[in-house]
Amino acid sequence: MTWHLPTSVDDVVRTRAERPEAPIVAGGTFLGILVRQGLVEADEWISLQRVTELTRMHSAGDLSVGAMVTHRRLELDDTVRTIWPGVAAAFKAVASPRVRNRATMGGVLADADYASDPPSMLVASNAVAEIASVRGTRRVPVEDLIIGHYSTSMEEDELITRVVVPRPTGAAVYRKLRTRSQEDRPASSVAAVVHGETVRVVVGAVSDRPYHFADVCSQWRPGDLDSAREIGEEYASRIDYIDDNRGSAAYRRHVVGVEVRRALMAVAR
Amino acid sequence: MTQRADQTRPGDGPARAYDGPGASSAVRGINPRITAQISYSIDSTIPGEWHLRIIRSAIPAGRVTGFQTALLDDDVIFLTADDVSDLNTFGCQIADQVVLTREPKFVGDAIAAVVAPTARDARVAASLVEVDYEAVPSVFGEMDAIAPGAQLVHAKHYTSESDSAYFDMRPQDGTNVCHRFRIRTPALQGRDEPEVVPHLDDPDDALADAFADADVIVDEVFHTPAAAHVPMEPHATNAQWVDGRLEVTTGTQTPFNMRQDLAHIFGLAAEDVRVVVPFMGGAFGAKTFIRTEAITALAARKAGRPVRCVLDRDEVFNEVTRHPSTVRIKLGAKRDGTFVAKRIWAYVNTGAYADCGPGVAQKMGYAGVGPYRFDHVAVDSYCIYTNLPPGGAFRGYGAMQSIWAAERVVDMMADKLGIDAVELRRQNLLHEGDTFCTGEVMHDARFEELLDDAAAAVGWEKDGDRRGKGVVVILKGMQTPSKAEARIELLPDGRYEVQAATADIGQGAGEMLTRLAAEYLKVEVDQVVVCAPDTDRVPYDTRTTSSRSTHMMSRALADAARDLQVHGTIGHGYVSNDGGLDPDTGQGIASSHWHQGSASAELEVDDETGIISLSTLYACSYAGKVINKHGAELQNEGSMILGLGTALFEELQYTEGQMTNPNLSDYNIASALDVASIRHRVMEVPGGEVHGLGETAVPPVPPAIGNAVATFGYDVRDLPMTPERVLAARLGDTFQSPTGEDPQ
Ligand SMILES: Cc1cc2nc3c(=O)[nH]c(=O)nc-3n(C[C@H](O)[C@H](O)[C@H](O)COP(=O)(O)OP(=O)(O)OC[C@H]3O[C@@H](n4cnc5c(N)ncnc54)[C@H](O)[C@@H]3O)c2cc1C
Repeated sequence: MTWHLPTSVDDVVRTRAERPEAPIVAGGTFLGILVRQGLVEADEWISLQRVTELTRMHSAGDLSVGAMVTHRRLELDDTVRTIWPGVAAAFKAVASPRVRNRATMGGVLADADYASDPPSMLVASNAVAEIASVRGTRRVPVEDLIIGHYSTSMEEDELITRVVVPRPTGAAVYRKLRTRSQEDRPASSVAAVVHGETVRVVVGAVSDRPYHFADVCSQWRPGDLDSAREIGEEYASRIDYIDDNRGSAAYRRHVVGVEVRRALMAVAR
Repeated sequence: MTQRADQTRPGDGPARAYDGPGASSAVRGINPRITAQISYSIDSTIPGEWHLRIIRSAIPAGRVTGFQTALLDDDVIFLTADDVSDLNTFGCQIADQVVLTREPKFVGDAIAAVVAPTARDARVAASLVEVDYEAVPSVFGEMDAIAPGAQLVHAKHYTSESDSAYFDMRPQDGTNVCHRFRIRTPALQGRDEPEVVPHLDDPDDALADAFADADVIVDEVFHTPAAAHVPMEPHATNAQWVDGRLEVTTGTQTPFNMRQDLAHIFGLAAEDVRVVVPFMGGAFGAKTFIRTEAITALAARKAGRPVRCVLDRDEVFNEVTRHPSTVRIKLGAKRDGTFVAKRIWAYVNTGAYADCGPGVAQKMGYAGVGPYRFDHVAVDSYCIYTNLPPGGAFRGYGAMQSIWAAERVVDMMADKLGIDAVELRRQNLLHEGDTFCTGEVMHDARFEELLDDAAAAVGWEKDGDRRGKGVVVILKGMQTPSKAEARIELLPDGRYEVQAATADIGQGAGEMLTRLAAEYLKVEVDQVVVCAPDTDRVPYDTRTTSSRSTHMMSRALADAARDLQVHGTIGHGYVSNDGGLDPDTGQGIASSHWHQGSASAELEVDDETGIISLSTLYACSYAGKVINKHGAELQNEGSMILGLGTALFEELQYTEGQMTNPNLSDYNIASALDVASIRHRVMEVPGGEVHGLGETAVPPVPPAIGNAVATFGYDVRDLPMTPERVLAARLGDTFQSPTGEDPQ
């Protein structure tokens, strides 16, 4: 088994282009399980651990989070907690400190697991991912990055380098619904972020990818319980739900209505 | 045959000071579990050994018609049912198993095996074998399996000569019932009852007159699912043949049963089998009786070299499970609250093989009677074959399943009568000198103190507002009959060696033996060493199960210490607890001493999502005299944590008999974040006897939570109490079950 340990983004993208079969390893929390289960096998691996530029985080203006910034850092950083409390809350909701100490921003977006916490909040916050390859760099809204079950709009050889989250102008609320252990992944993941007069509500973990319905959100009357309830019901009815160990499709449809309503009432407070 | 390799293994070489799990608290400074100084079964190796992979059935019932092995390397050894023709069948209570089968009875049944020089080679080889099958109809739910015309999982019923078959079996010919156990209190005995296996809605009960004096009757059905033990360490076995003797190093709670069963399978004398048991990284019942040992021994015989077998996590899930069950309880009381009669029907889904299911059915039967007085009790427990993975010993051993039902029914009765639920219990509790339904007289009964303690923990006020509160009190039996022997030897260096077969599963058996021996010999703990269980070196013990070891071994050790004082260098101690129940009347001695416990819960239910938030989960277990306070508390907490997972989310799911969540992502166990509400107590009394408490706090937890949940109008009958089951229990919403089918 060979480990490549590039030290710069340029190095990484070149190594990727030369070795398309070699998986990128960030925190390894997701890949580690796949390897143990025999679902991923490779002779060569590319580790991002030495790429210090990917661990940078800036918060003057917008929040710029390097792909190797851990969940734990986002959860605990004072500036993030003060200015982007919704982001801090969504990353804090993940698993346990053991996992959050390793898991990274790049990893959670690239694995595109439907049952993750951060994506709904990142979409609700209008976050944009920066993606690099030997062909150059491009910017993709997180909303367009995760397109289905474990699938993204990235090319095989592309690398997420950082994620930019605009400075919020209103309140943000993250609601994780756990139906089993408190360390479990979400059965539903609802993020609501207020931008000026409007709200972006995003529902994750109940279907193949996070869902946002701008036309429904545009009907919002801040602080109005009926409005919140109607939006909740409309979200509940529009999504095509999955059935898994965390809840049936019918249960999820029911709780999405409740959770969206609660999130809307909470951001209006 | 290979030579015995030079190696260090537990039991070989000089005795050592006890340095195992738990040694932290008293004997040593640092927990050796954390410093990786403990050698577990999975760490034991024999130089030159090859590796075994089991090839498992992909169908739940049928016949193997052929194997395609053309892709296997020449050096790979391939074993099938043809290799077991000279071996005897086995099974701890019913001899219904073969080491490799041609007729698989569950998805995961062992049908072949490969042995290769490395673990990786063996894994690759196993994936290259293709299997042809002919499927036959299968049956998965216990109630489906007793329906008229159900497919028979085994064409005929068998018996077992094993020590573990400690009562007569009552197989029901022509059905999937491999054992039927009954309790009949005196006035209900000697009736001419038909031998039919009643279905839940059979209206006709020959014993209905037992309820003649009851003003109010509650009659309800409950269900519990299969669950996984999840020991951190998987099953791991090393086997070798040395001059015609079989030597097995393995993680087992049953070293002497193992020796006997292996000897029987291979046609050897018991002395020609040696079983060595290193520390185990948990077991919870999963490491009882034959698991990976017989197939590994067979492979070592065929390979002519030592062989090692370590199961993958999904195999551990499928190896043995907790019995799914359906329990119907009928409770009758007078208007003033006096209990009159109780009727229990327990349907125990033992899967493809009986294992210890008959014993579990028996315990499920009497634990559901509870610590209460009745004029009449009648119990019918059925141990039922299906095409699911076998059910086996599991912390709580059948008691959890029937106590879930029985203690929920007491609260339902309290509601119906308009009597405070704690007072209703108090009014009917068994006291010192009262007679249990088995005819045995209760001694050292502490139920009232336990009940009061649990009620106080959630601020229960008589006839006060009890919304969100639940209180439960239980009894649970200990393995009876059983035997324990211990030896203490004075070593040339002046220290004392304890030789006992109690296995250290992580519960701190080694520390318990060290402390007790030091106390009885009146020496310091560092004067005592404990040798690991090795059937060549330690005397007989029934097994390390049913929370019996501290209670039984403490007395055997005391006896050995007395004997040593008389004889100088070697002291031998022996105790037995006699008893057992008649399978047709349930009369006799169910348990030579009773595990007694209580629990309470205080919680909220989110009425829109069904999510339960616990503010207090409390349990109190009667310990009599505590030997190691820290260890006892850990046992109590561990039991509660298991009870919590059982109550709220643990459930194995199957689709067409195939387990769909055999991993720790799809199957959740309680985590550190789930246990913040837990408080507990280990109850001691001056001059009390030593009581086991390894499981006492498992069974009361689910009904304590269930009773509290029910105060909000959510009458949940099926475990676990997932949020959607909670909502469905009140709103009647029929959410489909999560993926897969309910095994019901
Ligand atoms: C026990 C446990 C519990 C969990 N519970 C939760 C939970 O409650 N909520 C939740 O949201 N998540 C949960 N997770 C998932 C966890 O958050 C993800 O595993 C984690 O975010 C992945 O990050 P990583 O850095 O470890 O990724 P890795 O495992 O290193 O990589 C994941 C994938 O992303 C690719 N990748 C990584 N970085 C990049 C990059 N910069 N550019 C392109 N591709 C990249 C890798 O090649 C791989 O395919 C849990 C995980 C575990 C192990």
